Amino acid sequence: MSTTSENHCERGVDVGAYALGALDEHEVEPFREHLETCAECREELSQLQGVIDSLAIAVPHARASADLRGRLMGVVHGEAELLRATGHEADRPERARSVWRWRVFPALAATGALAAGVLIGALALNTHSSEQTRVIQAQVLPPAAGHDATAALRKVGSHVQLQVTGMPAPALGRIYEVWLKDGSQPPEPTDALFSVTGQGNGTVGVPGDLKGVSKVMVTEEPAGGSLEPTHSPVIVASV
Amino acid sequence: MSEMIRYKRSAESASASLRRLADEDLMQLVTENDDAAFAILYERHANVAFSLAFRMCGKRQVAEEAVQEAFLSAWRSGARYDRTRGSVRTWVLGIVHNRAIDALRRGVVHDRGRVSDEGIEERLEAPERTEEEVGRRDEAREIRTALDELPAEQSHVIELAYYGGFSHSEIAAMLETPIGTIKGRMRLGLQKLRLQLGPMQVLS
Repeated sequence: MSTTSENHCERGVDVGAYALGALDEHEVEPFREHLETCAECREELSQLQGVIDSLAIAVPHARASADLRGRLMGVVHGEAELLRATGHEADRPERARSVWRWRVFPALAATGALAAGVLIGALALNTHSSEQTRVIQAQVLPPAAGHDATAALRKVGSHVQLQVTGMPAPALGRIYEVWLKDGSQPPEPTDALFSVTGQGNGTVGVPGDLKGVSKVMVTEEPAGGSLEPTHSPVIVASV
Repeated sequence: MSEMIRYKRSAESASASLRRLADEDLMQLVTENDDAAFAILYERHANVAFSLAFRMCGKRQVAEEAVQEAFLSAWRSGARYDRTRGSVRTWVLGIVHNRAIDALRRGVVHDRGRVSDEGIEERLEAPERTEEEVGRRDEAREIRTALDELPAEQSHVIELAYYGGFSHSEIAAMLETPIGTIKGRMRLGLQKLRLQLGPMQVLS
């Protein structure tokens, strides 16, 4: 078995710290540049990488919760659905935005809404696509509104997606649930459950095409969702 | 046969086909936005990813956030995976490690490098369900034994750096030891581990 003792480079002493991710931030890039020119350090790093991989699994076994799976896959399914709906166009960066024409509908904000955030309906037409994209900005209500949170419904063809940013994570053991409301009827539960990343971002597919729906709402519910809302809405979008 | 039964059977058949694929092939499908393939990758690596994040962060909620961010990053940047540079598991665990370090450095966790009391409960709650999990636990146990057999000053700096997310200068200040000594201990410790683990390092 070969050893790493063949490395006589004076920077070799940094290889272990680099492999462990323990170099100070300002040292990382210069060492990466050094690696590009030093075969000895590259070779030693390559030999130590297997040990680092071993450290990653040398931990007590713990089981990821079903809630985590639900939150993660909720976002992934939503994004996949939208990508399927929009095809290759969705993969492109949003550089085409500058050529979109925006028509802003009258603001629907009430006094309370102004305190919580702005409620605006907007229609966006992508001139390079045969499918119309409609974006509906939603109202984010306290306490989520205090986090500079935003929420918007994006409708592409018959596919609808809710995107949020800056939202606080639901309390432990809880999840966000999307509801559809038709006029004065009680809100209908959906299977659209989601959580948010550490930055408060999240995306979920909204079932149906919003026909006959006057409001899309989000409440915080126990993991697994509820059949009737148990909390006040934190997001409301008027369709 | 009703439409629903036919649909369910078709979905089960598709899922069974995906389950037979290797991780690297599933990753190829993930780059094509196949969420079913991604779900299988998640099932295969979620527990080991969560175990690592939990060992580093010591809090379930923080660990879950790190794992969620890591897998979302893997889903959104699957094209960056390069099979010539290692297994999917290695790639995913690398992302999880980075996200957990981010959480540690954001100050979300105050007991860096320690396993909390929550951790003790967690280990008791995690039964060994499959042969594969039993195998992984044995593998993890052997690696931990090798780590424990290192001179204490070497295993200590490795644990502080890898699981605690501390930089070598932070460790040097903490232990009131010259930086050069800390770097030397890290390097020597890793080299000894490599020799001790030998063929075990061929991880799936």
